[in-house]
Amino acid sequence: MALEISGQIIAGKTGQILAREKAGGEIEIGDLLVAEEDDGGYVILQAYELVYGSQVPQLVRELLAGMKLEGMGTNLDFLEPQLRNYVIAQIKALLRVCKNNELKIPKTLPKFFSTIRHVAEKDLLFLTKPGSPVYLGKVRSGSKVLDVDVYVNGKDMLTHHVLIPATTGRGKSNLVKVMLWSVLAQDCLGILVLDPHDEYYGRHGKGLKDHSAAKQSLLYYSTNPVAGTNTLVINLRSILPSHFQGIVEFTDPQHDAISLYYNRFRDQWIENIVRGTDIGDAVAPRTLEVLKRKFDNVLGVFIDDGGDFQCRSGVFSDTAGLATTREIANALEDGKKVVIDTSRLLDEAELLIGSIISGGIFHRYQAYKSEGTLEEKPVVSVVIEEAPRVLGADVLAARGDNIYSTIAREGRKFKVGLIAITQLVSLIPRAILANMNTKIILGNELAAERQAVMESAAQDLSSDDRTIASLDKGEAIVSSNFTRFAVPIQIPLFEKYVEENLQPKEKNKTVFVG
Amino acid sequence: MFKFAHLADCHIGANRGPVLEKLELAAFNKAMDICMQETVDFVLISGDLFHANLPDMYVANEAVKKMKEVKDAGIPVYVIYGSHDYSPNGTSIIDILDSTGLIKKVVKGEDVDGKLRLGVFTDAKTGAKLVGISGRKAGLERNYFEILDRECLEKEQGFKIFAFHSAISELKPEFLAQMDSIPVSLLPKGFDYYASGHVHKRTESGFAGHERVVFPGALFGGYSRDLEDSAKGEKRGFYIVSFDEKVEEVKFMEVSVCDFGYFEYDVSDRNSMQAKKDLMEKLSKIEAENKITVVKIKGELSGGKTSDISSGEIRDLMKENGAIDVIINRYGLTSKDYVSVKVVGEDVPAIENRLLRENIGAVKVSLEELKADKGAKLAQELLKVLRQEQKLNETKKDYVERTQKHALNTLGLGDEG
Repeated sequence: MALEISGQIIAGKTGQILAREKAGGEIEIGDLLVAEEDDGGYVILQAYELVYGSQVPQLVRELLAGMKLEGMGTNLDFLEPQLRNYVIAQIKALLRVCKNNELKIPKTLPKFFSTIRHVAEKDLLFLTKPGSPVYLGKVRSGSKVLDVDVYVNGKDMLTHHVLIPATTGRGKSNLVKVMLWSVLAQDCLGILVLDPHDEYYGRHGKGLKDHSAAKQSLLYYSTNPVAGTNTLVINLRSILPSHFQGIVEFTDPQHDAISLYYNRFRDQWIENIVRGTDIGDAVAPRTLEVLKRKFDNVLGVFIDDGGDFQCRSGVFSDTAGLATTREIANALEDGKKVVIDTSRLLDEAELLIGSIISGGIFHRYQAYKSEGTLEEKPVVSVVIEEAPRVLGADVLAARGDNIYSTIAREGRKFKVGLIAITQLVSLIPRAILANMNTKIILGNELAAERQAVMESAAQDLSSDDRTIASLDKGEAIVSSNFTRFAVPIQIPLFEKYVEENLQPKEKNKTVFVG
Repeated sequence: MFKFAHLADCHIGANRGPVLEKLELAAFNKAMDICMQETVDFVLISGDLFHANLPDMYVANEAVKKMKEVKDAGIPVYVIYGSHDYSPNGTSIIDILDSTGLIKKVVKGEDVDGKLRLGVFTDAKTGAKLVGISGRKAGLERNYFEILDRECLEKEQGFKIFAFHSAISELKPEFLAQMDSIPVSLLPKGFDYYASGHVHKRTESGFAGHERVVFPGALFGGYSRDLEDSAKGEKRGFYIVSFDEKVEEVKFMEVSVCDFGYFEYDVSDRNSMQAKKDLMEKLSKIEAENKITVVKIKGELSGGKTSDISSGEIRDLMKENGAIDVIINRYGLTSKDYVSVKVVGEDVPAIENRLLRENIGAVKVSLEELKADKGAKLAQELLKVLRQEQKLNETKKDYVERTQKHALNTLGLGDEG
C-alpha cells in the first residue's frame, strides 16, 4: 500500500529545501520525511522550519480578514482554500539510502518536484541493534513515536565520551537510568556513576537495583547504605596528593608542605597533617594550620578533644575502607556498574572520590595498554553530573587539569570515557566538547547553550536551533559519530521501561547449615 | 563486670613442619592460659579453630586437652564454624567437640517465610546473648546474610554479641580486595559487639549502627603470608572484652610465642648469579638466632633462572645462623629470560585467582557458571578441595569418597548443591 503523500519539493538549495505541505499533511518541526528516488532508493529528510505560503496577495488577505472581523462578510472564504493557502516546510536531507541499502551522506538534492511522505518503520530498517548495545529510546518524528528502537554501540560510544546537555526537568537522569538499565548485564562496559541526588540505585522507588542482573553486576556505595549494599568509606591511605590535582586549590607553600609530608609519611601523610605532626622549620605553622583547615573543610577530618581521628561525613577513615577504591576499580574492570551515592557529601569531596577512583582505573588502563592487554578489558565510563565543575574553562584555568579533563582529552586511547551531564555546555572549552563524540541533546531554552551544543555536534545542526528549543520532556536528538544522522528520539519513562523489561529474579531456596 | 575472650583463626593444624606446628599449639595454649588467668566468663571463637574439618589427630588431641582445662575452670567455650573447619554435613571436629559438651556451637537457624531466623544462645552466667552465622567455603554464607531476619534480632533486648566468620567489605585490607566479603549493612544493627573472624589481620572499627566490629586476626598464622606479616611487626593475639550492660573495655592481649626476623631483597637489575651472591652475603650478616626468619625475594632478574637462587641454600644458611625456621617468599621473583606467564600477586590464592581469571577465556564451555569470574572462582574452590590430603587413619576409600563428595558439592552437583 502506498504511503500517504505529505508534500512536494518545490524549491530550495542544499540544506534548505522547500516543500509545500499537502493540505492535512501534518508536517511538524523535527518530522522525518522521505523522498523516494527513481532508482528505488530514498532520501530521509527532516523539517526544521515551517512558514505560511499563499497564492493570494497579502493585501487581499488583509482585506479579507478585516471584512470577516468587522462582520461584513462572515460567509466569505477563499475559493479552493487548500490550493491557495498552504504551509511551506523548510527541510534538509539527512541520509540517502541506496537501493542496495548502502547509506550515504546526501551530496545531491532529492529529485526536483518529488513528493515527500512521513517516514515509516520500514524506511529505518538500517537502524539495527549493534554489539554492546546501549538503548536510548525510539525514533521520533516530530512528536510522533515510531516503533523503531535506537541503540548505539556502547564500546564505541562510551570510549569516545558522551555529553548530555539539557536544562532542569528535561529528563537527563531518566535518560541515564534507561541507558544504565540497558547495559547493566553487559560485562564489556564498566560504568562508574557519581550520583549526587541518589536517584539511580532506587532506594525509594524503581531503580537499577530492580534489574535481574543487579546482584551480579551492580555495586552501590552510600554513606547510608541499605541492607546488602556497601558503606562508602575510603581510607585516607588511599589518597595521594595527585588526587587533589585540579579539584582543590593549594598555594605553592601548601603544595610544598604536602610534598614534604608525603615524602616523610607516605600513605599516612594526611593523618599527619591533620594531627599537626611537626616536621621542623620546612613548613610554616601557619601553612600547616591552613592545610588542616582545608582538609577539615574538604574531607571533614579533624582530631577530636580526646586526640582521636574523626570524620564528620564518615566517608574518610583512618581504619576502614582500605580496599574500597581497589574493589571499585576491580568491579569496573569486570564490567560492573558502580553507583556512588554522594548526596550527603560536599562538592569537593564528591569530586575527590571520583578523582581517586577514576584516576585509579585510568592509570591501571594506561598500564594495560603498555602491557598490550588493554584490548581484552571492558570499556570504562564515568558519569559525572554538573560537568563544568571539573570541565569548565574557568575551573581548568584556575586549578589546572584534573583527572576528568585528562580523561576527556586522552581517555579514548585507554578505553576510558566520560558521560558528562550539564545544563551549561557553554562553560566547557570547545576542545573538550569536540572530543565528546556523542551528544544526546535534550530540550534547552537558553540560546547560548543551544549554540554551544550545535557548534560541537557530530552532524551539522546549524539549522536545528528551533528544533532543539522545541524539544519536550523526554524528547532528544542523538548526534553521534556512531549514528548515520542526528536521530530524533523519544526516551521512555524509566519506570515504564523497567516495567516492560523486568525479568523475574532467580530465587533459590537456601538450605541453612549451621 | 563480666569478661569474655574473643579469638578467631587459630588454624590449629595448619602448619606441617614440627617447629611451626609446635608454636601454633603453643600460641593456642598460651591464649587459653591467659583466659584462665584473667578469669574470663566465657570464650568465643569466631571460626577456624582448626585448619580443617578433620584435622591431624595429634594436634587436635593437644588442643582438646587444653580446652578441657578451660572447661574444667568453669569457662564455657562458644564457637562457630570457620571456612576451614566447616562441614556441610555436620561431620567436622567442631561437631564432635560440640557433642561431647567441650565446646558449644552457637549457630542455630530456621527458615521462616523465606527468611533466616537465627536462634539466640544465652550465656547462663553473664546473660550475654550470642547469635552466630558460621563461615562456609567460598563465601557462601553470604546467602544467609542476605535472607537474614535482621529485624527480629535487632528487637532482641540485652547485651548482644553477633559472631560471624566473613570478611567485611569496608574493613578488608587492600591486598584482599578480591576476597569474598559482605558489606557491614548485612549485619543486624544494634549489637554490642560484632565478633568477627576470617581476615587474618587485626582490625577494630565501627559504623553507625554497628559500633564495634572486631577482627582479632590469626592467633599465630596459618599461611606464610601471616608469618610474613608477623615478621613485619603485626601483633598476634586476641581480645578480652569487659562488659556490663554494654561494652566497657576492649583490650588486645598479645600472644607471642617466638621472635621473628624479616629480610626483603629486590633482585632487579641483577642477573641470577649476581643476585644470589649479593643476597647470600647480606643474609649471612643478619641476626637470626632463635627466630623464625622470613626472607622475601622479589623483582625481575636481568638474566638467568630464578631457580639459581636456591631456597635450599638460603634455608641452610639461615639455619646455620640459628634460625629456628625459615619462610621464603619468592612469589614476586621473575626473570626476563624465563617469564612464561607473568603473574602479580601477594600470595598463592591471589596468584591462582589471577592466573585462572586471565586464562579461563581459553577454555571453551557453554555453561555460564564455568565462564569468566564465576568459572575462575569455581576452579579455585575445586582446587582447594582437591588439595586436601588424606587424614591420619582415614582409609583410601574414605578419602576418595570424601574428596569426591566435597568436589561435587563445590560444583553444585552434590547433596548440598
